[in-house]
Amino acid sequence: MSDPAVRISNVTKRFAETVAVNDLSLVIPRGSVYGLLGPNGAGKTTTIRMMLDIIVPDTGSISILGRPHLEAGVSSRVGYLPEERGLYKKMQVRRVLRFLAELKGVTAKDADRRINSWLERLGLVTSEKDWGNAKVDELSRGMQQKVQFIGTLLHEPELVILDEPFSGLDPINAQALKDTVVELKNEGKTVIFSTHLMDNAERLCDSVCIIAHGRKVLDGEVTAVKEQRGSRNIALAVDGPARDGLLTVLQDRRLVARADDQNRFFEIELANGADPQELLKQVVATGARVRRFELISPSLHQIFLDRVGATGVEEGMSGHG
Amino acid sequence: MGKVFVVFKREFLERVRSRWFLFTTILGPVFMGLVTVLPIAIAAKTKSSQQLSNVVIIDATSTDLGSRVSRALTSTTPNAPVPRVRVVKAEEVPAEEQRATQEVVANQALGYLVLDANTTAGKDLRYAGRNATALIDVESIERMVRQSLLSQRLEHEGIDPGRVASLTNVRLDTKTEKITDRGREGTGGLASFFFGYGIAFVLYIMIAIYGQSILRGVLEEKTSRVAEVVISSVKPDALLAGKILGAGTVALTQVTAWLGMSFLMYQARGPLFQLFGAAPTAAAALKIPTVAPLVGLALFLFFVLGFLLYAALFGAVGSMVSNQEDVQQAATPVMLLLVASFIFMQPILLNPSGTLAKTMSWLPFSAPLMMPLRMAIIAIKWYEIVGALLSVAIGCWLAIWVSARIYRVGLLMYGKRPSFRELARWIRMA
Repeated sequence: MSDPAVRISNVTKRFAETVAVNDLSLVIPRGSVYGLLGPNGAGKTTTIRMMLDIIVPDTGSISILGRPHLEAGVSSRVGYLPEERGLYKKMQVRRVLRFLAELKGVTAKDADRRINSWLERLGLVTSEKDWGNAKVDELSRGMQQKVQFIGTLLHEPELVILDEPFSGLDPINAQALKDTVVELKNEGKTVIFSTHLMDNAERLCDSVCIIAHGRKVLDGEVTAVKEQRGSRNIALAVDGPARDGLLTVLQDRRLVARADDQNRFFEIELANGADPQELLKQVVATGARVRRFELISPSLHQIFLDRVGATGVEEGMSGHG
Repeated sequence: MGKVFVVFKREFLERVRSRWFLFTTILGPVFMGLVTVLPIAIAAKTKSSQQLSNVVIIDATSTDLGSRVSRALTSTTPNAPVPRVRVVKAEEVPAEEQRATQEVVANQALGYLVLDANTTAGKDLRYAGRNATALIDVESIERMVRQSLLSQRLEHEGIDPGRVASLTNVRLDTKTEKITDRGREGTGGLASFFFGYGIAFVLYIMIAIYGQSILRGVLEEKTSRVAEVVISSVKPDALLAGKILGAGTVALTQVTAWLGMSFLMYQARGPLFQLFGAAPTAAAALKIPTVAPLVGLALFLFFVLGFLLYAALFGAVGSMVSNQEDVQQAATPVMLLLVASFIFMQPILLNPSGTLAKTMSWLPFSAPLMMPLRMAIIAIKWYEIVGALLSVAIGCWLAIWVSARIYRVGLLMYGKRPSFRELARWIRMA
């Protein structure tokens, strides 16, 4: 178990004119929940596809669960949910799932047993209706996503790779997904997922890697990444009508280096040498009712903005989930 | 390869389970049976027109030829009106023709026949009428005039009319038989012609239908985005191989079912023919040409290799496009190869040992259709067959190699259809 789940060493991939991934090296420890963060077009999907040998890197090497990723049998230990999801529309749900399981080397008998238990667990088999016998295109979008998710996990993979798993999920399915990720971790599995939703990543991930323009910006355990930056941030939550006065205070560059205005919540980065006590005094003086004032480590969101730049955010490439 | 088999199994089962497969498997032989029986049944009923003698005979020969022809015509169609014989002078013929034309227009006669000095000289006769395009009618009239002229001449030479009748009563029916290097092949001249045509036609249909269905299958995997999940588990080459083998096996299953059902229908041909009103003798005359085991093997190989070649190409085309609208254009080059082979079947049937026939039975893309066709109608040297098989095998290998490379890249490419230059880059980069 000493081998990491994934080791990527100096991998580069060029497409016609662009460098999608540039000299990327990563170590993803076993048994962890790992977030691959970055704006769209950063190279997350390309990196994931290279891990799965869907795309061949130009240079560099990748090992999965201690084996070279090209080795026969490796792919059967990995489960993959691509960003663009889809199934054979005209096929029966059970047959699609059996096909996906058999591709991973599961026998038809084992597959059928697991399919039934998953279908029941996710509510696709009820007393009125067995959706397993329906054709895929008779299912609602949400049900299809569940089926696809079952297909990813049917062969009980040691490593689960989810590309933008939260995109297009309604809150209930998103919660179910989070639960399953935690459950997988509890079973000792490794889960890698890519996202541009920093809040999700901050809550779920043990470790993260932020990439932009195909390069690694930073990586490590979430707590370590945050501690490196020190507790120079303040979480401020207010009620009351004094927004104008508050904004004036937050524009005081002697106190505040930067403030992320989320209307009723602010994440504030203190200016060098500024005293939090002084800031609190000023805020109270505006007449705002302070509900929370706390020294915190910067959020992943703030770190992301710092390191990748605000341009990505303005283009809608980052946000809160 | 376990994964190829998993893909193969899915392709095979999903296709065989479809209603379309059941439908075509059952209806195919029924259709083919009708195609075989109906022409014979129709031919049995096709005799020369019942109104053949309802004509005007314009006789400008100054002999009794007109009445002789009239008698002959009357005896063939006794229920029709007797021919109206008009003995005229040569210069009156145009006027008589005009009059006869009006009678035909007014439906008082079927047509008119002009006998003149040229006819007695044995050169020509003229016929005009509503049935002038019915070859069988014209042929009957011609035969009767010829016979009448002949007996007239013989009687002129002083031979007894009774003897003339028996001497000129010649009815010949040609029984054809084919000779090949192995010697006489029996009376199946026409049968082997149809057999060769049948094999080539079935192969053409199978490639066209199943090739395009592979194309649609690949496109469906692309548009439904299931392709990415699948190729995270199985290499594109294995996926393509499984798909082609699966569809190919379905095609073979279907052909086998067709052959089996055709055989049963052949066994029951007597009652079937009677059902359609054809003479039982016609049923007896219908013979399936025997196929030597080695020839059978060669035919099977042509079928399999030809199918693989086109199936691989269609698979590559499917991976090149991202939407239904582009399919037609992208598939055109492959379809052209196939259709060209089909179009040339007609000229090659007429001249199976010509240069065109030889060339096309050596080119990989047309050999699977042309060689079986030629093998059925003429004798081909064994080394020509082996050579053509080799050529198809090499073409097949090349097609699979190129297709696999296009497929590998194309499967995850979305957007506009690649140009030929881009395709070349895909093939190099895969």
